[in-house]
Amino acid sequence: MSIKYVREPDLADPVMIASWPGIGNIGLIAVDSIRRSLNAEEMAYIEPWDFFYPSRATIRDGVLLNIQFPASTFYFKKTPRRDLMIFFGEEQPAEGGRVYAEGSKAYAMANMVIEVAQRFGCKRIYTSGAAVAPIHHTARSSVWAVPNTPGLLDELKSYRNTVLMSDIEGRGGQGNITGLNGLLLGVARRRGIEAVCLMGEIPVYLQGFPFPYPKASKSVLEVLTDVLGVDMDIQAMNHLAEQNERELAALYERLPQEIKDQLDRLKQVTAAAQESQDAITEEDKKKILEDIDKFFKKEGGGEQH
Amino acid sequence: MTASPVFRVYDRPILKKPVLIVGWIEDASRLSLRSADFLIHNLGCTEFAEILPEGFFPLAGVNVEDDVANFPESKFYVSKEHNLIVFKSNVPRTDWHQFLKALLEVGHEKCGAEELYTMGTMISYAAHTMPRVLISIVNHPDMKAELEPYNVMSNTDFDTPAGQKPTLSSYLSWVAGQEGVKTANLWVPIPFYLVTQEDPRACKRLLYFFNSRHNLGLDLRPLDDEVAEQNNKIAGLFKKSPQIEALVRRLEVGEPLESEDAEKLAGEMAEALRKK
Repeated sequence: MSIKYVREPDLADPVMIASWPGIGNIGLIAVDSIRRSLNAEEMAYIEPWDFFYPSRATIRDGVLLNIQFPASTFYFKKTPRRDLMIFFGEEQPAEGGRVYAEGSKAYAMANMVIEVAQRFGCKRIYTSGAAVAPIHHTARSSVWAVPNTPGLLDELKSYRNTVLMSDIEGRGGQGNITGLNGLLLGVARRRGIEAVCLMGEIPVYLQGFPFPYPKASKSVLEVLTDVLGVDMDIQAMNHLAEQNERELAALYERLPQEIKDQLDRLKQVTAAAQESQDAITEEDKKKILEDIDKFFKKEGGGEQH
Repeated sequence: MTASPVFRVYDRPILKKPVLIVGWIEDASRLSLRSADFLIHNLGCTEFAEILPEGFFPLAGVNVEDDVANFPESKFYVSKEHNLIVFKSNVPRTDWHQFLKALLEVGHEKCGAEELYTMGTMISYAAHTMPRVLISIVNHPDMKAELEPYNVMSNTDFDTPAGQKPTLSSYLSWVAGQEGVKTANLWVPIPFYLVTQEDPRACKRLLYFFNSRHNLGLDLRPLDDEVAEQNNKIAGLFKKSPQIEALVRRLEVGEPLESEDAEKLAGEMAEALRKK
Protein backbone atom coordinates (compact mmCIF):
# COMPACT_ATOMS: atom_id res chain seq x y z
CA MET A 1 0.00 0.00 0.00
CA SER A 2 1.63 3.24 -1.00
CA ILE A 3 1.07 6.79 -2.08
CA LYS A 4 2.67 8.01 -5.29
CA TYR A 5 3.45 11.70 -5.58
CA VAL A 6 3.17 13.18 -9.06
CA ARG A 7 3.94 16.73 -7.90
CA GLU A 8 4.80 18.24 -4.54
CA PRO A 9 3.43 21.78 -4.72
CA ASP A 10 4.26 24.40 -2.12
CA LEU A 11 0.92 24.92 -0.37
CA ALA A 12 0.16 27.41 2.40
CA ASP A 13 -2.28 26.19 5.07
CA PRO A 14 -4.33 24.23 2.57
CA VAL A 15 -7.84 23.00 3.24
CA MET A 16 -8.75 19.56 1.90
CA ILE A 17 -12.10 18.47 0.54
CA ALA A 18 -12.56 14.73 0.15
CA SER A 19 -15.27 12.48 -1.13
CA TRP A 20 -16.11 8.91 -2.05
CA PRO A 21 -19.23 7.52 -3.73
CA GLY A 22 -22.32 7.09 -1.59
CA ILE A 23 -26.10 7.47 -1.74
CA GLY A 24 -26.99 9.65 -4.72
CA ASN A 25 -23.25 10.42 -5.10
CA ILE A 26 -24.11 13.70 -3.45
CA GLY A 27 -20.70 14.61 -2.04
CA LEU A 28 -18.79 13.15 -4.93
CA ILE A 29 -20.63 15.28 -7.49
CA ALA A 30 -20.15 18.44 -5.42
CA VAL A 31 -16.43 17.83 -4.94
CA ASP A 32 -15.92 16.85 -8.56
CA SER A 33 -17.62 20.00 -9.79
CA ILE A 34 -15.18 22.09 -7.70
CA ARG A 35 -12.26 20.08 -9.06
CA ARG A 36 -13.36 20.55 -12.63
CA SER A 37 -14.36 24.17 -12.28
CA LEU A 38 -11.00 25.11 -10.76
CA ASN A 39 -8.98 22.94 -13.13
CA ALA A 40 -7.27 21.42 -10.12
CA GLU A 41 -4.03 19.59 -10.93
CA GLU A 42 -3.17 16.04 -9.94
CA MET A 43 -0.55 15.82 -7.21
CA ALA A 44 -0.71 12.24 -5.90
CA TYR A 45 -2.62 8.99 -5.94
CA ILE A 46 -3.03 5.93 -3.76
CA GLU A 47 -1.91 2.72 -5.44
CA PRO A 48 -5.12 0.82 -6.01
CA TRP A 49 -4.26 -2.86 -6.07
CA ASP A 50 -4.38 -3.58 -2.35
CA PHE A 51 -7.78 -1.90 -2.11
CA PHE A 52 -9.72 -2.68 -5.26
CA TYR A 53 -10.54 -5.28 -7.85
CA PRO A 54 -9.97 -3.91 -11.39
CA SER A 55 -12.84 -2.08 -13.00
CA ARG A 56 -12.03 -2.45 -16.68
CA ALA A 57 -9.92 -4.47 -19.10
CA THR A 58 -9.00 -3.27 -22.57
CA ILE A 59 -8.28 -5.94 -25.18
CA ARG A 60 -7.36 -5.20 -28.78
CA ASP A 61 -6.73 -7.77 -31.46
CA GLY A 62 -6.42 -10.50 -28.86
CA VAL A 63 -3.86 -8.64 -26.72
CA LEU A 64 -4.64 -7.42 -23.20
CA LEU A 65 -3.51 -3.80 -23.37
CA ASN A 66 -4.48 -2.52 -19.97
CA ILE A 67 -6.33 -3.11 -16.73
CA GLN A 68 -7.83 -0.12 -14.96
CA PHE A 69 -8.61 0.23 -11.27
CA PRO A 70 -10.87 2.64 -9.40
CA ALA A 71 -8.73 5.74 -8.83
CA SER A 72 -8.04 7.48 -5.51
CA THR A 73 -6.50 10.77 -6.58
CA PHE A 74 -5.30 13.93 -4.85
CA TYR A 75 -5.46 17.29 -6.65
CA PHE A 76 -4.42 20.79 -5.66
CA LYS A 77 -5.32 24.34 -6.61
CA LYS A 78 -3.92 27.62 -5.37
CA THR A 79 -6.80 30.11 -5.31
CA PRO A 80 -6.70 33.81 -4.34
CA ARG A 81 -8.39 33.10 -1.00
CA ARG A 82 -6.70 29.83 -0.03
CA ASP A 83 -4.84 26.80 -1.23
CA LEU A 84 -6.98 23.74 -1.76
CA MET A 85 -6.35 20.02 -1.77
CA ILE A 86 -9.01 17.78 -3.25
CA PHE A 87 -9.26 14.03 -2.75
CA PHE A 88 -11.51 12.11 -5.12
CA GLY A 89 -12.14 8.40 -4.54
CA GLU A 90 -13.90 6.56 -7.35
CA GLU A 91 -14.84 3.66 -5.10
CA GLN A 92 -14.90 2.81 -1.39
CA PRO A 93 -12.61 -0.09 -0.47
CA ALA A 94 -15.41 -2.32 0.75
CA GLU A 95 -14.66 -5.79 2.08
CA GLY A 96 -16.79 -8.90 1.99
CA GLY A 97 -19.24 -7.58 -0.59
CA ARG A 98 -20.34 -4.62 1.54
CA VAL A 99 -21.31 -1.36 -0.16
CA TYR A 100 -19.50 0.94 2.24
CA ALA A 101 -15.95 0.76 3.42
CA GLU A 102 -15.25 -0.67 6.81
CA GLY A 103 -12.51 -2.66 8.45
CA SER A 104 -8.77 -2.62 8.01
CA LYS A 105 -8.69 -1.46 4.39
CA ALA A 106 -11.00 1.46 5.01
CA TYR A 107 -8.91 2.45 8.00
CA ALA A 108 -5.71 2.15 5.96
CA MET A 109 -7.11 4.33 3.20
CA ALA A 110 -8.36 6.96 5.65
CA ASN A 111 -4.89 7.08 7.20
CA MET A 112 -3.27 7.50 3.79
CA VAL A 113 -5.52 10.45 3.02
CA ILE A 114 -4.60 12.02 6.35
CA GLU A 115 -0.91 11.31 5.68
CA VAL A 116 -1.05 13.35 2.45
CA ALA A 117 -3.02 16.11 4.19
CA GLN A 118 -0.42 16.37 6.96
CA ARG A 119 2.50 16.26 4.57
CA PHE A 120 1.26 19.51 3.01
CA GLY A 121 0.34 21.18 6.29
CA CYS A 122 -3.43 20.79 5.98
CA LYS A 123 -5.28 21.46 9.24
CA ARG A 124 -8.90 21.29 8.06
CA ILE A 125 -10.70 18.65 6.01
CA TYR A 126 -14.24 18.61 4.65
CA THR A 127 -15.90 15.39 3.60
CA SER A 128 -19.37 15.18 2.16
CA GLY A 129 -22.12 12.69 1.62
CA ALA A 130 -25.86 12.13 1.86
CA ALA A 131 -28.35 12.66 4.67
CA VAL A 132 -31.38 10.46 4.10
CA ALA A 133 -34.29 12.58 5.29
CA PRO A 134 -38.10 12.49 5.22
CA ILE A 135 -38.32 15.42 2.82
CA HIS A 136 -40.12 15.91 -0.48
CA HIS A 137 -38.14 16.09 -3.69
CA THR A 138 -39.53 19.55 -4.45
CA ALA A 139 -38.01 20.88 -1.22
CA ARG A 140 -34.61 22.50 -1.05
CA SER A 141 -32.08 20.10 0.46
CA SER A 142 -30.61 21.32 3.71
CA VAL A 143 -27.08 20.36 4.66
CA TRP A 144 -26.39 18.43 7.84
CA ALA A 145 -22.99 19.29 9.28
CA VAL A 146 -21.03 17.10 11.68
CA PRO A 147 -17.65 18.25 13.03
CA ASN A 148 -15.05 16.02 14.66
CA THR A 149 -14.51 18.41 17.55
CA PRO A 150 -16.95 20.48 19.65
CA GLY A 151 -14.81 23.57 19.02
CA LEU A 152 -16.22 23.79 15.49
CA LEU A 153 -19.91 23.79 16.42
CA ASP A 154 -20.25 27.57 16.65
CA GLU A 155 -18.58 28.02 13.28
CA LEU A 156 -20.88 25.50 11.64
CA LYS A 157 -23.94 27.32 12.95
CA SER A 158 -22.95 30.26 10.75
CA TYR A 159 -22.96 28.17 7.54
CA ARG A 160 -25.91 28.82 5.26
CA ASN A 161 -28.76 26.33 4.92
CA THR A 162 -26.99 24.07 7.41
CA VAL A 163 -28.21 22.22 10.49
CA LEU A 164 -26.45 20.33 13.25
CA MET A 165 -27.60 16.90 14.42
CA SER A 166 -29.07 18.52 17.55
CA ASP A 167 -31.21 20.79 15.34
CA ILE A 168 -33.01 17.77 13.94
CA GLU A 169 -35.92 16.85 16.12
CA GLY A 170 -35.84 13.46 17.68
CA ARG A 171 -32.15 12.88 17.04
CA GLY A 172 -30.79 14.42 20.21
CA GLY A 173 -27.55 15.19 18.43
CA GLN A 174 -27.02 11.49 17.62
CA GLY A 175 -26.40 9.83 14.28
CA ASN A 176 -24.07 7.74 12.21
CA ILE A 177 -22.07 8.52 9.08
CA THR A 178 -21.44 5.35 7.12
CA GLY A 179 -18.32 4.60 5.11
CA LEU A 180 -15.20 6.64 4.47
CA ASN A 181 -16.95 10.00 4.31
CA GLY A 182 -17.59 9.40 8.02
CA LEU A 183 -14.55 7.34 8.99
CA LEU A 184 -12.19 10.06 7.78
CA LEU A 185 -13.59 12.39 10.45
CA GLY A 186 -12.65 9.92 13.15
CA VAL A 187 -9.17 9.25 11.80
CA ALA A 188 -8.57 12.99 11.36
CA ARG A 189 -9.59 13.59 14.96
CA ARG A 190 -7.23 10.87 16.13
CA ARG A 191 -4.40 12.56 14.23
CA GLY A 192 -5.22 16.09 15.35
CA ILE A 193 -6.86 17.51 12.23
CA GLU A 194 -10.17 19.36 12.27
CA ALA A 195 -12.74 17.84 9.97
CA VAL A 196 -16.36 18.43 9.04
CA CYS A 197 -18.76 16.20 7.11
CA LEU A 198 -21.38 18.06 5.06
CA MET A 199 -24.34 15.92 4.07
CA GLY A 200 -26.94 17.02 1.56
CA GLU A 201 -30.48 15.83 2.20
CA ILE A 202 -31.96 13.25 -0.15
CA PRO A 203 -35.62 12.23 0.14
CA VAL A 204 -35.96 8.95 1.99
CA TYR A 205 -37.85 7.40 -0.93
CA LEU A 206 -35.00 8.11 -3.37
CA GLN A 207 -32.18 6.61 -1.30
CA GLY A 208 -32.25 3.29 -3.11
CA PHE A 209 -32.44 4.72 -6.62
CA PRO A 210 -29.34 4.13 -8.71
CA PHE A 211 -29.05 7.70 -9.94
CA PRO A 212 -27.57 10.90 -8.54
CA TYR A 213 -29.48 13.57 -6.68
CA PRO A 214 -27.81 16.81 -7.83
CA LYS A 215 -30.19 19.02 -5.86
CA ALA A 216 -28.48 17.89 -2.66
CA SER A 217 -25.05 18.17 -4.31
CA LYS A 218 -25.92 21.77 -5.12
CA SER A 219 -26.70 22.52 -1.48
CA VAL A 220 -23.38 20.98 -0.40
CA LEU A 221 -21.59 22.87 -3.15
CA GLU A 222 -23.08 26.19 -2.01
CA VAL A 223 -21.82 25.62 1.52
CA LEU A 224 -18.38 24.51 0.36
CA THR A 225 -17.87 27.45 -2.01
CA ASP A 226 -18.92 29.88 0.76
CA VAL A 227 -16.66 28.34 3.35
CA LEU A 228 -13.68 27.94 1.05
CA GLY A 229 -14.16 31.31 -0.61
CA VAL A 230 -14.09 29.64 -3.99
CA ASP A 231 -15.46 31.68 -6.83
CA MET A 232 -16.93 29.27 -9.33
CA ASP A 233 -19.70 29.12 -11.87
CA ILE A 234 -22.42 26.76 -10.62
CA GLN A 235 -24.55 26.98 -13.77
CA ALA A 236 -23.72 23.40 -14.74
CA MET A 237 -24.84 22.19 -11.31
CA ASN A 238 -28.02 24.27 -11.53
CA HIS A 239 -28.73 22.75 -14.91
CA LEU A 240 -28.19 19.21 -13.59
CA ALA A 241 -30.45 19.86 -10.60
CA GLU A 242 -33.21 21.32 -12.80
CA GLN A 243 -33.00 18.44 -15.25
CA ASN A 244 -33.18 15.95 -12.37
CA GLU A 245 -36.19 17.78 -10.92
CA ARG A 246 -38.01 17.57 -14.27
CA GLU A 247 -37.26 13.84 -14.50
CA LEU A 248 -38.48 13.29 -10.95
CA ALA A 249 -41.64 15.31 -11.65
CA ALA A 250 -42.37 13.08 -14.65
CA LEU A 251 -41.79 9.97 -12.54
CA TYR A 252 -43.95 11.40 -9.76
CA GLU A 253 -46.84 11.88 -12.19
CA ARG A 254 -46.85 8.18 -12.91
CA LEU A 255 -47.23 7.25 -9.23
CA PRO A 256 -50.65 6.10 -8.00
CA GLN A 257 -52.59 8.87 -6.25
CA GLU A 258 -52.40 7.04 -2.91
CA ILE A 259 -48.59 7.14 -2.93
CA LYS A 260 -48.55 10.74 -4.15
CA ASP A 261 -50.79 11.71 -1.23
CA GLN A 262 -48.40 10.07 1.19
CA LEU A 263 -45.37 11.74 -0.37
CA ASP A 264 -47.10 15.11 -0.37
CA ARG A 265 -47.25 14.98 3.41
CA LEU A 266 -43.46 15.28 3.26
CA LYS A 267 -43.80 18.75 1.75
CA GLN A 268 -44.47 20.05 5.26
CA VAL A 269 -41.29 18.60 6.68
CA THR A 270 -38.29 20.78 7.31
CA ALA A 271 -34.93 19.63 8.49
CA ALA A 272 -35.47 21.12 11.89
CA ALA A 273 -38.96 19.69 12.38
CA GLN A 274 -38.95 16.22 11.02
CA GLU A 275 -41.30 14.93 13.62
CA SER A 276 -43.92 17.68 13.65
CA GLN A 277 -47.52 16.65 14.04
CA ASP A 278 -48.33 16.77 10.35
CA ALA A 279 -45.21 15.03 9.25
CA ILE A 280 -44.80 11.31 8.82
CA THR A 281 -44.00 8.72 11.42
CA GLU A 282 -41.46 5.92 11.10
CA GLU A 283 -44.37 3.62 10.28
CA ASP A 284 -45.55 5.97 7.49
CA LYS A 285 -42.01 6.11 6.16
CA LYS A 286 -41.82 2.32 6.02
CA LYS A 287 -45.15 2.12 4.21
CA ILE A 288 -44.15 4.75 1.64
CA LEU A 289 -40.94 2.89 0.87
CA GLU A 290 -42.82 -0.40 0.55
CA ASP A 291 -45.47 1.14 -1.72
CA ILE A 292 -42.87 2.75 -3.96
CA ASP A 293 -40.91 -0.47 -4.11
CA LYS A 294 -44.06 -2.38 -5.09
CA PHE A 295 -44.94 0.24 -7.69
CA PHE A 296 -41.59 0.00 -9.45
CA LYS A 297 -41.57 -3.79 -9.30
CA LYS A 298 -45.04 -3.78 -10.89
CA GLU A 299 -43.81 -1.38 -13.54
CA GLY A 300 -41.16 -3.94 -14.42
CA GLY A 301 -38.34 -1.46 -14.09
CA GLY A 302 -39.84 0.79 -16.72
CA GLU A 303 -37.09 3.36 -16.37
CA GLN A 304 -34.33 0.88 -17.00
CA HIS A 305 -32.68 0.79 -20.38
CA MET B 1 3.18 -9.74 15.72
CA THR B 2 4.59 -10.99 12.44
CA ALA B 3 2.61 -11.34 9.20
CA SER B 4 1.27 -14.83 8.54
CA PRO B 5 2.86 -16.70 5.64
CA VAL B 6 0.80 -16.48 2.45
CA PHE B 7 1.96 -19.76 0.88
CA ARG B 8 3.77 -22.96 1.77
CA VAL B 9 6.14 -24.92 -0.46
CA TYR B 10 6.54 -28.51 0.76
CA ASP B 11 8.92 -29.81 -1.85
CA ARG B 12 10.40 -27.34 -4.27
CA PRO B 13 10.85 -29.06 -7.65
CA ILE B 14 13.85 -28.40 -9.88
CA LEU B 15 12.42 -27.44 -13.26
CA LYS B 16 13.67 -25.66 -16.36
CA LYS B 17 11.35 -22.83 -17.41
CA PRO B 18 8.25 -24.91 -16.79
CA VAL B 19 4.80 -24.10 -18.15
CA LEU B 20 2.24 -23.02 -15.56
CA ILE B 21 -1.42 -23.86 -16.18
CA VAL B 22 -4.04 -22.26 -13.93
CA GLY B 23 -7.45 -23.84 -13.43
CA TRP B 24 -10.12 -22.04 -11.43
CA ILE B 25 -12.48 -24.37 -9.61
CA GLU B 26 -15.49 -22.09 -10.14
CA ASP B 27 -16.04 -22.15 -13.90
CA ALA B 28 -19.11 -22.68 -16.06
CA SER B 29 -19.40 -26.30 -17.15
CA ARG B 30 -16.50 -27.05 -14.73
CA LEU B 31 -14.23 -26.86 -17.78
CA SER B 32 -11.28 -25.35 -16.01
CA LEU B 33 -11.53 -27.75 -13.07
CA ARG B 34 -12.06 -30.83 -15.25
CA SER B 35 -9.13 -29.92 -17.48
CA ALA B 36 -6.84 -29.25 -14.50
CA ASP B 37 -7.86 -32.57 -12.92
CA PHE B 38 -7.33 -34.39 -16.22
CA LEU B 39 -3.80 -33.00 -16.44
CA ILE B 40 -3.02 -33.77 -12.78
CA HIS B 41 -4.25 -37.36 -12.95
CA ASN B 42 -3.05 -38.29 -16.40
CA LEU B 43 0.39 -36.77 -16.05
CA GLY B 44 0.88 -38.13 -12.54
CA CYS B 45 1.35 -34.66 -11.06
CA THR B 46 2.15 -34.38 -7.36
CA GLU B 47 1.20 -31.60 -4.98
CA PHE B 48 4.16 -29.48 -3.90
CA ALA B 49 2.85 -26.14 -2.62
CA GLU B 50 -0.26 -24.22 -1.68
CA ILE B 51 -1.49 -20.68 -1.09
CA LEU B 52 -3.01 -20.57 2.37
CA PRO B 53 -6.68 -19.58 2.59
CA GLU B 54 -6.46 -17.01 5.38
CA GLY B 55 -6.98 -13.50 4.10
CA PHE B 56 -8.25 -14.63 0.69
CA PHE B 57 -11.39 -16.54 1.57
CA PRO B 58 -14.14 -15.98 4.14
CA LEU B 59 -13.48 -18.54 6.84
CA ALA B 60 -16.66 -18.12 8.81
CA GLY B 61 -17.80 -21.68 8.04
CA VAL B 62 -17.91 -24.09 5.14
CA ASN B 63 -20.01 -24.30 2.00
CA VAL B 64 -21.85 -27.53 1.37
CA GLU B 65 -22.00 -28.56 -2.28
CA ASP B 66 -23.46 -31.82 -3.59
CA ASP B 67 -24.02 -32.87 0.03
CA VAL B 68 -20.35 -32.42 0.94
CA ALA B 69 -18.66 -29.70 2.98
CA ASN B 70 -16.06 -27.86 0.93
CA PHE B 71 -13.12 -25.80 1.98
CA PRO B 72 -11.27 -23.41 -0.30
CA GLU B 73 -8.06 -24.77 -1.76
CA SER B 74 -5.28 -23.28 -3.87
CA LYS B 75 -2.74 -25.97 -4.68
CA PHE B 76 0.26 -26.37 -6.95
CA TYR B 77 0.96 -29.70 -8.63
CA VAL B 78 4.01 -30.62 -10.68
CA SER B 79 4.92 -33.09 -13.39
CA LYS B 80 8.72 -33.02 -13.45
CA GLU B 81 8.74 -35.30 -16.46
CA HIS B 82 6.72 -32.84 -18.50
CA ASN B 83 8.21 -29.72 -16.93
CA LEU B 84 4.70 -28.61 -16.07
CA ILE B 85 2.99 -26.99 -13.09
CA VAL B 86 -0.77 -27.03 -12.59
CA PHE B 87 -2.31 -24.58 -10.14
CA LYS B 88 -5.85 -25.51 -9.15
CA SER B 89 -7.70 -23.06 -6.97
CA ASN B 90 -10.96 -21.59 -5.85
CA VAL B 91 -11.39 -17.98 -6.91
CA PRO B 92 -10.23 -15.78 -4.00
CA ARG B 93 -12.87 -13.52 -2.52
CA THR B 94 -10.61 -10.70 -1.35
CA ASP B 95 -7.00 -9.42 -1.57
CA TRP B 96 -6.80 -10.58 -5.17
CA HIS B 97 -3.58 -8.74 -5.94
CA GLN B 98 -1.72 -10.35 -3.06
CA PHE B 99 -3.13 -13.74 -4.07
CA LEU B 100 -1.98 -13.35 -7.68
CA LYS B 101 1.45 -12.14 -6.53
CA ALA B 102 1.73 -15.25 -4.35
CA LEU B 103 0.74 -17.44 -7.30
CA LEU B 104 3.51 -15.86 -9.37
CA GLU B 105 6.02 -15.98 -6.53
CA VAL B 106 5.67 -19.76 -6.38
CA GLY B 107 5.22 -20.40 -10.10
CA HIS B 108 7.59 -17.83 -11.58
CA GLU B 109 10.12 -16.76 -8.94
CA LYS B 110 10.60 -20.08 -7.16
CA CYS B 111 9.96 -22.52 -10.03
CA GLY B 112 11.00 -20.41 -13.03
CA ALA B 113 7.78 -20.51 -15.10
CA GLU B 114 7.85 -17.94 -17.89
CA GLU B 115 4.75 -19.06 -19.75
CA LEU B 116 1.37 -19.18 -18.07
CA TYR B 117 -2.07 -20.27 -19.24
CA THR B 118 -5.47 -19.84 -17.70
CA MET B 119 -8.55 -21.80 -18.77
CA GLY B 120 -12.15 -20.68 -18.85
CA THR B 121 -15.49 -20.80 -20.60
CA MET B 122 -17.55 -18.29 -22.50
CA ILE B 123 -21.27 -18.71 -23.10
CA SER B 124 -22.16 -19.36 -26.71
CA TYR B 125 -25.46 -19.43 -28.58
CA ALA B 126 -24.20 -22.07 -30.97
CA ALA B 127 -25.43 -25.67 -30.88
CA HIS B 128 -23.46 -28.38 -29.09
CA THR B 129 -22.92 -30.14 -32.41
CA MET B 130 -20.74 -27.29 -33.69
CA PRO B 131 -16.95 -27.67 -33.31
CA ARG B 132 -15.46 -26.10 -30.19
CA VAL B 133 -13.12 -23.22 -30.90
CA LEU B 134 -10.31 -21.96 -28.73
CA ILE B 135 -9.95 -18.22 -28.16
CA SER B 136 -6.86 -16.65 -26.64
CA ILE B 137 -6.25 -13.33 -24.99
CA VAL B 138 -2.51 -12.82 -24.50
CA ASN B 139 -0.57 -10.25 -22.56
CA HIS B 140 2.23 -9.90 -25.09
CA PRO B 141 2.21 -9.89 -28.91
CA ASP B 142 5.05 -12.48 -28.91
CA MET B 143 2.73 -14.96 -27.24
CA LYS B 144 0.13 -14.35 -29.92
CA ALA B 145 2.66 -15.22 -32.61
CA GLU B 146 3.67 -18.37 -30.72
CA LEU B 147 0.07 -19.60 -30.59
CA GLU B 148 -0.60 -19.01 -34.28
CA PRO B 149 0.25 -22.56 -35.44
CA TYR B 150 -2.34 -24.08 -33.06
CA ASN B 151 -5.55 -22.89 -34.66
CA VAL B 152 -6.32 -20.49 -31.84
CA MET B 153 -8.55 -17.49 -32.50
CA SER B 154 -6.68 -14.45 -31.28
CA ASN B 155 -8.29 -11.33 -32.70
CA THR B 156 -10.70 -10.33 -29.91
CA ASP B 157 -11.50 -6.66 -29.25
CA PHE B 158 -13.14 -6.11 -25.88
CA ASP B 159 -13.78 -3.43 -23.26
CA THR B 160 -15.33 -4.46 -19.95
CA PRO B 161 -18.90 -3.13 -20.04
CA ALA B 162 -20.00 -0.69 -17.34
CA GLY B 163 -21.25 -2.50 -14.26
CA GLN B 164 -19.12 -5.58 -14.93
CA LYS B 165 -15.61 -6.43 -13.75
CA PRO B 166 -12.70 -7.99 -15.63
CA THR B 167 -12.12 -11.71 -15.09
CA LEU B 168 -9.58 -12.88 -12.54
CA SER B 169 -7.70 -14.48 -15.45
CA SER B 170 -7.34 -11.07 -17.12
CA TYR B 171 -6.18 -9.62 -13.81
CA LEU B 172 -3.61 -12.43 -13.48
CA SER B 173 -2.37 -11.77 -17.01
CA TRP B 174 -1.85 -8.13 -16.19
CA VAL B 175 0.03 -8.86 -12.95
CA ALA B 176 2.12 -11.52 -14.74
CA GLY B 177 2.91 -9.03 -17.50
CA GLN B 178 4.36 -6.66 -14.90
CA GLU B 179 6.75 -9.45 -13.92
CA GLY B 180 7.69 -10.37 -17.47
CA VAL B 181 5.69 -13.59 -17.59
CA LYS B 182 3.93 -14.24 -20.89
CA THR B 183 0.36 -15.42 -20.55
CA ALA B 184 -2.53 -16.66 -22.62
CA ASN B 185 -6.07 -16.73 -21.24
CA LEU B 186 -7.67 -19.62 -23.13
CA TRP B 187 -11.44 -19.50 -23.53
CA VAL B 188 -13.73 -22.12 -24.99
CA PRO B 189 -17.27 -20.98 -25.92
CA ILE B 190 -19.80 -23.49 -24.58
CA PRO B 191 -23.46 -23.78 -25.61
CA PHE B 192 -25.61 -21.96 -23.07
CA TYR B 193 -27.58 -25.11 -22.37
CA LEU B 194 -24.46 -26.98 -21.25
CA VAL B 195 -23.08 -24.44 -18.77
CA THR B 196 -24.56 -26.30 -15.80
CA GLN B 197 -23.35 -29.62 -17.23
CA GLU B 198 -19.95 -30.82 -18.34
CA ASP B 199 -18.87 -30.35 -21.92
CA PRO B 200 -16.30 -33.05 -22.84
CA ARG B 201 -15.92 -31.55 -26.34
CA ALA B 202 -14.70 -28.29 -24.80
CA CYS B 203 -12.42 -30.13 -22.42
CA LYS B 204 -10.94 -32.09 -25.29
CA ARG B 205 -10.36 -28.94 -27.34
CA LEU B 206 -8.45 -27.33 -24.51
CA LEU B 207 -6.37 -30.41 -23.70
CA TYR B 208 -5.68 -31.02 -27.38
CA PHE B 209 -4.05 -27.61 -27.47
CA PHE B 210 -1.81 -28.38 -24.47
CA ASN B 211 -1.00 -31.78 -25.95
CA SER B 212 0.05 -30.25 -29.26
CA ARG B 213 1.97 -27.28 -27.94
CA HIS B 214 3.76 -28.98 -25.06
CA ASN B 215 4.01 -32.59 -26.27
CA LEU B 216 2.31 -33.98 -23.20
CA GLY B 217 1.38 -37.31 -24.78
CA LEU B 218 -2.07 -37.23 -23.21
CA ASP B 219 -4.51 -39.93 -24.24
CA LEU B 220 -7.71 -38.00 -24.95
CA ARG B 221 -9.82 -41.04 -25.89
CA PRO B 222 -11.66 -41.11 -22.54
CA LEU B 223 -13.09 -37.75 -23.53
CA ASP B 224 -14.29 -39.21 -26.83
CA ASP B 225 -16.15 -41.80 -24.77
CA GLU B 226 -17.74 -39.05 -22.73
CA VAL B 227 -18.77 -37.22 -25.92
CA ALA B 228 -20.36 -40.43 -27.22
CA GLU B 229 -22.22 -40.95 -23.94
CA GLN B 230 -23.48 -37.37 -24.01
CA ASN B 231 -24.55 -37.77 -27.64
CA ASN B 232 -26.57 -40.85 -26.67
CA LYS B 233 -28.36 -39.02 -23.90
CA ILE B 234 -29.13 -36.08 -26.17
CA ALA B 235 -30.37 -38.46 -28.90
CA GLY B 236 -32.69 -39.99 -26.31
CA LEU B 237 -33.99 -36.55 -25.43
CA PHE B 238 -34.57 -35.71 -29.11
CA LYS B 239 -36.51 -38.92 -29.57
CA LYS B 240 -38.69 -38.11 -26.59
CA SER B 241 -39.06 -34.43 -27.44
CA PRO B 242 -38.88 -33.45 -31.14
CA GLN B 243 -39.52 -29.84 -30.05
CA ILE B 244 -36.15 -29.76 -28.25
CA GLU B 245 -34.44 -31.21 -31.30
CA ALA B 246 -36.06 -28.50 -33.44
CA LEU B 247 -34.66 -25.84 -31.11
CA VAL B 248 -31.14 -27.28 -31.43
CA ARG B 249 -31.50 -27.41 -35.22
CA ARG B 250 -32.46 -23.75 -35.22
CA LEU B 251 -29.27 -22.94 -33.30
CA GLU B 252 -27.27 -24.99 -35.80
CA VAL B 253 -28.33 -22.63 -38.59
CA GLY B 254 -27.68 -19.56 -36.46
CA GLU B 255 -31.30 -18.75 -35.73
CA PRO B 256 -31.75 -17.06 -32.32
CA LEU B 257 -34.20 -18.49 -29.77
CA GLU B 258 -36.80 -16.64 -27.74
CA SER B 259 -35.86 -16.59 -24.05
CA GLU B 260 -38.73 -18.94 -23.20
CA ASP B 261 -37.48 -21.50 -25.74
CA ALA B 262 -33.91 -21.09 -24.56
CA GLU B 263 -34.97 -21.74 -20.95
CA LYS B 264 -36.95 -24.81 -22.01
CA LEU B 265 -33.98 -26.18 -23.94
CA ALA B 266 -31.55 -25.58 -21.05
CA GLY B 267 -33.94 -27.13 -18.51
CA GLU B 268 -34.71 -30.29 -20.49
CA MET B 269 -31.10 -30.75 -21.53
CA ALA B 270 -29.97 -30.50 -17.90
CA GLU B 271 -32.58 -33.06 -16.89
CA ALA B 272 -31.59 -35.48 -19.67
CA LEU B 273 -27.83 -35.19 -19.04
CA ARG B 274 -28.20 -35.68 -15.30
CA LYS B 275 -29.67 -39.16 -15.84
CA LYS B 276 -27.24 -42.01 -15.34
